[in-house]
Amino acid sequence: MKHKINFILNNEEITHEVAANRTLLDVIREDFDLTGAKEGCGAGECGACTILVDRKPINACLMLAVEADGKEILTIEGLSVNNKLDQIQQAFIDHAALQCGYCTPGMIMSGKALLMDNPSPTEEEVKEAISGNLCRCTGYKKIVEAIMEVADKTNSAR
Amino acid sequence: MKDFLYYKPKTIEEACEILTRYNGEASILNGGTDVIVRIHDGLNHPKALVDIKGISGLKTISFSKEDGLVLGACANMNAVINHKDILENYQIIAEAAHTVGSCQVRNRATIIGNITNASPLADTATPLLALDAVVEVFGVEGPREISINDFFVFVRRTSLKVGDVVTAVKVPYYKELKGSYQKHSRRDAVDLATVCASVLMVDGEIKIALGSVAPTPIRCRKAEDFLRGKKLTEELIKEATHRALEEVSPISDVRATKEYREEIARVLVSRGLRDLMG
Ligand SMILES: Cc1cc2nc3c(=O)[nH]c(=O)nc-3n(C[C@H](O)[C@H](O)[C@H](O)COP(=O)(O)OP(=O)(O)OC[C@H]3O[C@@H](n4cnc5c(N)ncnc54)[C@H](O)[C@@H]3O)c2cc1C
Ligand code: FES
Ligand code: FES
Repeated sequence: MKHKINFILNNEEITHEVAANRTLLDVIREDFDLTGAKEGCGAGECGACTILVDRKPINACLMLAVEADGKEILTIEGLSVNNKLDQIQQAFIDHAALQCGYCTPGMIMSGKALLMDNPSPTEEEVKEAISGNLCRCTGYKKIVEAIMEVADKTNSAR
Repeated sequence: MKDFLYYKPKTIEEACEILTRYNGEASILNGGTDVIVRIHDGLNHPKALVDIKGISGLKTISFSKEDGLVLGACANMNAVINHKDILENYQIIAEAAHTVGSCQVRNRATIIGNITNASPLADTATPLLALDAVVEVFGVEGPREISINDFFVFVRRTSLKVGDVVTAVKVPYYKELKGSYQKHSRRDAVDLATVCASVLMVDGEIKIALGSVAPTPIRCRKAEDFLRGKKLTEELIKEATHRALEEVSPISDVRATKEYREEIARVLVSRGLRDLMG
């Protein structure tokens, strides 16, 4: 049986029909071609599928698409405005905080969620915020540095 | 994932009615961090999922000295961790909830789902056991209460019946609460407990609960009885720890051997008691 759901996807109001057994990750990737969020484990362990639901990071592989009804969803594709990258995206590039890039959309969304909630986190808080995101390439150091740079910029702008 | 029907009732009565109609072949969907993984892995094949997050009032967390803490069934772990009254009066619950999974998991996972899933290692089970929490249930015959001490029956089995929906967990108010939650795991982040322990002083009485050392999370009553009315000394801690160990029956699995678990349980209980000495 299909369910009709209404939700906001990257600032756009959407009405869509989904089968109950499809995950939100599957639907954003397959039906909307938003392939930034990845499926690494499909079981909540790796964070490659991290997106924001009502401004909070969640594992899209562990949420049913029907549960998105009435929610506001932000994926990595919704971060840039008029082709200008978000500060955190730019910081990842500037710090070379990626190698293969598989974990990157999830990492950035976890970092973004932290900064939205807490614009000037400590390094410890950054590490905790990304502890649900696995990266097999970078060793995390540059990722933490990239997120900290955005935090520091926000601080000095005050 | 295998197909299933999805229901999102607006009232508790309706949820109970659907669950009863499916007679055990429907599951409640709360944060989904256990349910969806089990369906994904092919371990469960429910005919229907009943999403209880549309029922009003279930997300509420409230506190008063008269009623204690009332933790609504759909309040997620992060809401618990950041709740002022919980941090002030029940810090151990926040500590335990903070060790569950990752930030992403905690934005979905609930304490009620954690205890109802009834894994022996459930992080939030031992604080609730040590605090003598009460599980509020709505079932075919209306509302009732189950003491957390009678809630866990076996691995992944609780005393809930078909049609039952847990609406909240209640924790009495205590004037004085000391002690902390200890989780021993292989990694610090996103790992399950190899052994976990809540060792508390609650209004002058010592309470000890252990996880991942038996088919269910357990209270160590023999050790508690032994310590009642006594002032803690090194000697007494040694004897109480010995008695607590008589109540555990761990198994060997992917995380640790039986012998290792016994040793860690011994360390966590004696460390917890020593912390209460000062
Ligand atoms: C990556 C990952 C890491 C994890 N790490 C930990 C960890 O460190 N520690 C830990 O203890 N657990 C961990 N878990 C397991 C899980 O997140 C927790 O057990 C969680 O608290 C379950 O809550 P939920 O709301 O998601 O439950 P759900 O998955 O929605 O439900 C769990 C069970 O409880 C039943 N249920 C839920 N609500 C009710 C209700 N109101 N009335 C009756 N029955 C109900 C469901 O039918 C189901 O059987 C982890 C899971 C993942 C995916
Ligand atoms: S794919 Fe969702 S956490 Fe790994
Ligand atoms: S850059 Fe390859 S997994 Fe992180």
